[in-house]
Amino acid sequence: MPPKLVVQGLSHHYPDEYTGEDVHALDNVSLDVDEGVFAAVVGPSGCGKTTLLNILAGLLPYSVGHVKVDGIDVTGPGPDRGVVFQEHAILPWRTVARNIGHGLEIQGMASEERKKKVQEFVELVNLTGFEDRYPHELSGGMKQRVALARTLCADPVIMLMDEPFAAVDAQTRITLQEELNRITMATKKTTLLITHNVDEAAFLGDKCFVFTRRPGKLKATILIDIPRDRRVWKDLLHDPQFIEKRDEILTLVREEVSPHGDD
Amino acid sequence: MATTSPSVERPRVVRSARWRRFTKGGGVELLIMVLGILAFWSFLSSVIPNPSRYLPAPLTVLFSSSDMLWKGLLPNYLGQTLFRLVLGSVLGLAIGIPFGILLGLNRTVSDIFYPILNFFQSISGIAILPIIVVWWGNSEKTVFTVILYTAMFPITFNVLAGVRSIPRIYVNMLRSLGASRLQVVRDVILPGAMPYIATGARLGIAFAWRAVIAGEMLVGKRGLGWMIFTAQDTDHTDEVILGMVMIGVIWILIDRFALRPIEADTIQRWGLVQR
Ligand SMILES: Nc1ncnc2c1ncn2[C@@H]1O[C@H](COP(=O)(O)OP(=O)(O)OP(=O)(O)O)[C@@H](O)[C@H]1O
Ligand SMILES: [Mg+2]
Repeated sequence: MPPKLVVQGLSHHYPDEYTGEDVHALDNVSLDVDEGVFAAVVGPSGCGKTTLLNILAGLLPYSVGHVKVDGIDVTGPGPDRGVVFQEHAILPWRTVARNIGHGLEIQGMASEERKKKVQEFVELVNLTGFEDRYPHELSGGMKQRVALARTLCADPVIMLMDEPFAAVDAQTRITLQEELNRITMATKKTTLLITHNVDEAAFLGDKCFVFTRRPGKLKATILIDIPRDRRVWKDLLHDPQFIEKRDEILTLVREEVSPHGDD
Repeated sequence: MATTSPSVERPRVVRSARWRRFTKGGGVELLIMVLGILAFWSFLSSVIPNPSRYLPAPLTVLFSSSDMLWKGLLPNYLGQTLFRLVLGSVLGLAIGIPFGILLGLNRTVSDIFYPILNFFQSISGIAILPIIVVWWGNSEKTVFTVILYTAMFPITFNVLAGVRSIPRIYVNMLRSLGASRLQVVRDVILPGAMPYIATGARLGIAFAWRAVIAGEMLVGKRGLGWMIFTAQDTDHTDEVILGMVMIGVIWILIDRFALRPIEADTIQRWGLVQR
């Protein structure tokens, strides 16, 4: 089976319109993600993680390197890559159910069939009873669940997530991490998660890509061979295998964080 | 006795609750203000010489209105004026909203059109009226053109600002779901610009309301503005004032019963504005 996502020799420069000096954001990045694998990208702030995600999503054009999803070159945004943005991007004028079913609506699925499928995902993300609520009536954690359900409901080849839990409190974050693990396990969805939280990367990832500071290069790939159904914070916190992998990633990331702490 | 007292008491409770809502909502202050203005107006009418020419008393105006109602003139004029307002506003919305969206979505289009729009915005409807009269004379077409012209600017500019205010991430999100440009406009741009569209519509219709009256004074046949103008010509000051009062009252009714409910049903429900 060929990998679902292949990135080869990807570099990116942001031109600076004012000074003429450009920002070198990504440098010769190559990585791949197999079907059903949960991959995590960790790196210090400003290393180009969001840049990478935007390129994969097709929202940022690239000129150096190759990006292929399911063997097809990425040339623009498309429903084969579902994105969960940091600021959840739930539409305030749609109810929970209509936000979750939005992708299916765009695909033109008939209303009856769509309703059934939406209900399935409402249950999967534990939002039963909130189908007809508007987003401003939901907590931050619930909004993020809506965004997750919307992406999964549209059934993309790969799900891309950019710091999806950065805006919620620590307690909610832990719950959402466990739920994301359960949900991606249940749907067997190939996922690429971007985070600067080492614990999060080690907890969720089957495969962790550690990036250097800017210009972002792939520094190391760490494989974490802990079965998905064993990943519960209560147990993992004392699991020697988890602790070893997490510390390994932590050391690699620490080396990259600038000593002045200004990055 | 004790068993009958609740049924006796209940209507009083309801009445006092309604009374409290009225007083809390500033109803008493408003009532006092209106009565005060009417009293001051009556007082002025009673002290000035020749009040029927300069300032007829409120009661005189009221009588003139019953007189005009009797003759069927007022409903007829009102109907004419409202018809012009509604048609002009609907046309203004039908042109202003798509035009504003186009300007908001496309930098090149807005770079070209914005200065031109800005130029014409400074020339009020009344200022373009003479040239239109030269083209189309004293016709209904002339009045509509002025109303449409007046309503269009606030609508277009507000819709443009509304489209620009929509977070880029909503558009990106929709494109990642595989949406076409048309679907992005339908699902994100239109609803996202809704608070601005509502403001623009309200402003545009308010401006159009002024333009209708002014246009009727100068070119129209029949209508409220025409009524005021001819009343002045024939020294019927009571009808002049009646016309002015009608203008204000009708606007408040339009705003209260047509424009505000639209806002409440959409943008308040979505939590886009706090009440
Ligand atoms: N549109 C842009 N124009 C110019 N430079 C940019 C642009 N977007 C990002 N950059 C620069 O590129 C570098 C990488 O940015 P990016 O947002 O990808 O980092 P990141 O790893 O996501 O950071 P964080 O963890 O803080 O979100 C940064 O130095 C940033 O200043
Ligand atoms: Mg980022």
